[in-house]
Amino acid sequence: MRLRVDGKEVEVQEGALLLQVAPVPTLCHHPHTETKGLCRLCLVEVNGRLHPACATLAQEGMEVKTETEALRRLRKTLLEWLALTTDLSQAPELLSLMERYGAEPARWPEVAGRKEREALKDNPFFLRDYAKCVNCRRCVDACGDGIMGVYALTLEDRGLLAHPTTPLGRPLPETPCVFCGNCVQVCPTGALRPLTLEVA
Amino acid sequence: MENPSLLPLLDARLPLTEEKVAEAARLARVPLAQAWGVVRYYPRYRGLPQGRLLVDDPVARARGFARLREAADGSYPPLGLEALSPIYLRFNPEGRFVEWQGSLVPFRDFRLPFSLGHGKRLIPPEPILSLAQYRALGGLQALLALLQGRASPEGVLRAVEEAGLLGRGGAAFPAHVKMRTVAQGASPKYLVVNADESEPGNFKDRFLLEHHPFLVLEGALLAALAVGADKVFLYVREEFEAAQEGLQRALSELEEAGLLPVPTEVFRSGGLYICGEETALLESMEGKRAEPRLKPPFPGEKGLWGRPTLVQNVETLANLPLILREGPDAWRALEPKLFSISGDVAHPGLYELPLGTPLGEALRRAGGELGEVQAVLLGGAAGVFTRDLAFPLRFKERLPLGAGALVAFGRDVDLWEVLLGLVHFLKEESCGKCFPCPLGTAVQVEMVKRRERNRALVQDLAETLKGSLCGLGQSAYWAYQSLLEVEGAA
Repeated sequence: MRLRVDGKEVEVQEGALLLQVAPVPTLCHHPHTETKGLCRLCLVEVNGRLHPACATLAQEGMEVKTETEALRRLRKTLLEWLALTTDLSQAPELLSLMERYGAEPARWPEVAGRKEREALKDNPFFLRDYAKCVNCRRCVDACGDGIMGVYALTLEDRGLLAHPTTPLGRPLPETPCVFCGNCVQVCPTGALRPLTLEVA
Repeated sequence: MENPSLLPLLDARLPLTEEKVAEAARLARVPLAQAWGVVRYYPRYRGLPQGRLLVDDPVARARGFARLREAADGSYPPLGLEALSPIYLRFNPEGRFVEWQGSLVPFRDFRLPFSLGHGKRLIPPEPILSLAQYRALGGLQALLALLQGRASPEGVLRAVEEAGLLGRGGAAFPAHVKMRTVAQGASPKYLVVNADESEPGNFKDRFLLEHHPFLVLEGALLAALAVGADKVFLYVREEFEAAQEGLQRALSELEEAGLLPVPTEVFRSGGLYICGEETALLESMEGKRAEPRLKPPFPGEKGLWGRPTLVQNVETLANLPLILREGPDAWRALEPKLFSISGDVAHPGLYELPLGTPLGEALRRAGGELGEVQAVLLGGAAGVFTRDLAFPLRFKERLPLGAGALVAFGRDVDLWEVLLGLVHFLKEESCGKCFPCPLGTAVQVEMVKRRERNRALVQDLAETLKGSLCGLGQSAYWAYQSLLEVEGAA
């Protein structure tokens, strides 16, 4: 199957995602979870329309553009908004993307964000520090449908306030959680992190 | 239906306790985590004030929102009807009431108290609430023709195609294309009537449901038979209690008369603006948080419980009996569209006008003084400000028609206050699933508060919101950008 990516002809196997041929950043997508298409950092232009590269199958004859001026502006702005609302200090990949796209969060007005949330320490193994959470849902999916099928995590609230929580808002030891660590493994921002890494 | 739906199970247990949530989850056969995510999503399960919907109606805001809120006992005007007239919710020991133009109406009985505005029209001006009345006016003929074999499902599809009917929910997508996709799909398949209208300034579907239930039901049944749907669901806005009861009564009448060929059920909506987005609507019916799905696949291929599903707006379906009665050509010559006209006009209400009617003419019908109009909000929350009164009200024009809301603002209205109401509404209604929408709508509120006019910044806001997962985020900047254009043109 042949398609064009930024003007160059590329050959791929049937069933390949555009992400496999398009060099674009991504955040919510993870090979072991079913999360995709949420963060929109991997949006590409296909025949003039926007599609998430992580959730779009390559097709014969596609014209894919990965770095138009509009797409660069979108990624830059989105990263700025994330930095504006969320503590990205433990998200090195996002910090380097911000550098790559020349992000300047200060050009936007202040937004009462998610940074103020207090870290939850309700078990001996890891912290849930939702001030650092971008709500990519990888942890929720890893715990539920994606990997474990344990369903100790779900989502709370809507809009900018949406973030992971536990069933009935209980401390983790009172939920079906088996402390497998998959949620910590898939977290891209350090919102879930092992307590062993914390300096006393 | 694969599993019992979670939302009705939760509804039956209000007010909720943790035990009741767990019980509903067991009955719906879903993990407690899913049920809890649902409870923490929909306002009515979280114990937030009932009947509240529009956090912040833009027209109310332009008319002194804080003062109105005080008069409303701390609750909020329901459903953006503030564009029609001040309207309050009153709570007293006997229950919930709507205060409308000086009288108290029990919440569950409240119907829009006006008839269809003047002009040449296809829909009767007065409410038609009984089957006998509906049949006396020539209703049900298309359905009978289909049931008696005098017409065919293909004939219905062809008529819709020849009429060129475009979806009336806001997206203006060709109705026959969706219908044919579902018609070609394998059973079981479904029809969902999207009756979740909940946008500031739009009240046409509410009007149809409350005043013309048989017209809506005949349209839905025609569509269901045309595509071979096994079941019809009417997904009705939670606050439209009078409409829900009226539809139930109409369904009983049809059933008793042996004229209900497809099982039909009224489903109480989740009660949020996003529930009207067709895939979010399907998620809520499946007992999940009403969040949009990635498309493709489209509902016509994989909809409710993964089955082919036709999701169609109320007004779109109400046009089917009219198309079949008049014939596609005659219908097309009139191209009827319902317009919710409100704001600073003498006779706010519902008007059936031919598509292509100039905006100024539509306002004049509703008693608008054109010289006094500063701008019109066209299309509701996902709408644009314009002062182009010659603009022909047609789909696929320069400006989006949306679902047909026209809110006129007089000279003394501060349009930035209206805009603040709109962007606040969008921020409150963002579901939070994708990234650009919850972030962008929150940033936008702050930008509008400081009356930010920097074009480059607004352009970046727009470009980024455009990348949202669904129409809410994708259109969230339209009003802002258009207000700057209106200002520039002034």
